[in-house]
Amino acid sequence: MSERIKLLAYLVAIIIASWTTSPAWLTGGLLATLLLCGRDAMRMVRRAIVTTIAFSGIVSAAYAGYRWLAFDTLPLDWLVTVNLRVLLMAMLTFLVIARVNLFQALSVSRRFSFLLVLAVSQSIGLKRVLDEFRMGLHSRSIRPASLRDRYRAVAHAAGWLVDKSLGHAHESAQALKSRGLFK
Amino acid sequence: MIRVENMTHHYGDKISLNEISFSIAEGEKVVLLGCNGSGKSTLLKILDGLITPRAGQVFYQGQPITSLHLKQGAMRRIFRKEVALLFQNPDVMLFNPTVYDEIAFGPRQLGWSNIDERVSHWADLLGLSAYLERPPFTLSGGEKQKLALAALLAVEPRLLLLDEPAAALDPRSTGWLVDFLAGLRVTLLTTTHNLSLAPELGARALVLGEDHRLIYDGPIKNFLGHLDLLVAANLAHTHRHHHGEFEHRHWHTHDWQ
Repeated sequence: MSERIKLLAYLVAIIIASWTTSPAWLTGGLLATLLLCGRDAMRMVRRAIVTTIAFSGIVSAAYAGYRWLAFDTLPLDWLVTVNLRVLLMAMLTFLVIARVNLFQALSVSRRFSFLLVLAVSQSIGLKRVLDEFRMGLHSRSIRPASLRDRYRAVAHAAGWLVDKSLGHAHESAQALKSRGLFK
Repeated sequence: MIRVENMTHHYGDKISLNEISFSIAEGEKVVLLGCNGSGKSTLLKILDGLITPRAGQVFYQGQPITSLHLKQGAMRRIFRKEVALLFQNPDVMLFNPTVYDEIAFGPRQLGWSNIDERVSHWADLLGLSAYLERPPFTLSGGEKQKLALAALLAVEPRLLLLDEPAAALDPRSTGWLVDFLAGLRVTLLTTTHNLSLAPELGARALVLGEDHRLIYDGPIKNFLGHLDLLVAANLAHTHRHHHGEFEHRHWHTHDWQ
């Protein structure tokens, strides 16, 4: 199957997942995705859960709390459906990142290719910087870092990254403009 | 003090350090030379126990440095107190709300008394006394470098690993740093690719080649006079230039001789 068709199949699957409201169908989709993941399945499930747990947890807890206070009921169907859907979408995304060569898939458009190169280079750069911040805290922690120190380090890294990202985005836009894009 | 045996490290499939072996005795001042991408920063991070090599071993005071050993509370405390790494980008290691808290961070972890005195001692020494109440991110690049150094020295380390400490400094601050480091009574391992600065930072050189192997370990003066080694390490350059009307091309050594 060509990379372009795989990417198209992913987009269709994402749209279907976002429309599906039946927990049974979502569970079926999740099982099918797990089968496609093969021996990487457990690693991908773990990654998907770690990635989505903060978002899903906050949204689920907030809505469940509201329904409990306002109507004295817990929206169990809704909670199952939404969390399955988020997990399925995250799994599909990790699967497509692992199995599809996005550069080939997007080679149909010069503009998409440029944007992909930019996005990938930015994310590689960000990963390296985040690793440096993590090591900076680790290196200076004579005792295991306290929660307060970790929060401070994360807040500092986030502020630094926002500053840098703004600077980089501005510079990247100028670079693309100078090469004839976004006229 | 530090011993490295047949150490190899990869980033994915790409080799970054290839069968490196050397040792550094207490009190030595050593310069680690190599071109960009030769593995200098990676080597310092391995020596600081932040990265695990794929093969080989690193020992500090006879104890192996592995993530498993550094999980042991006592070993971790001793190692993290005695070995300090100054990152090339000081921003990554400055996360406290004020300059004062940044310098006090290490001594507080050690439960030391006289925090005020210790902070003011190091702040005075590094010219940071006027900034104690300021957030570190408001400082200039050179001031951040000094603050990171003060924060490390405040825990009185025995081995200081410095990653391109002069890279972000202006010439005046670079001169100050060279004098300051010369006066420190700690074991120093400093990376640089600035050959004019290197002999001022240590008497012994470790040189990483472009193949990520250690291609020289010895007196720095000898290395700087060895053109073949300089070329092998990609630390010498050739380009055309003019002497009046006459134009020619040759290897340049005048930067450091």
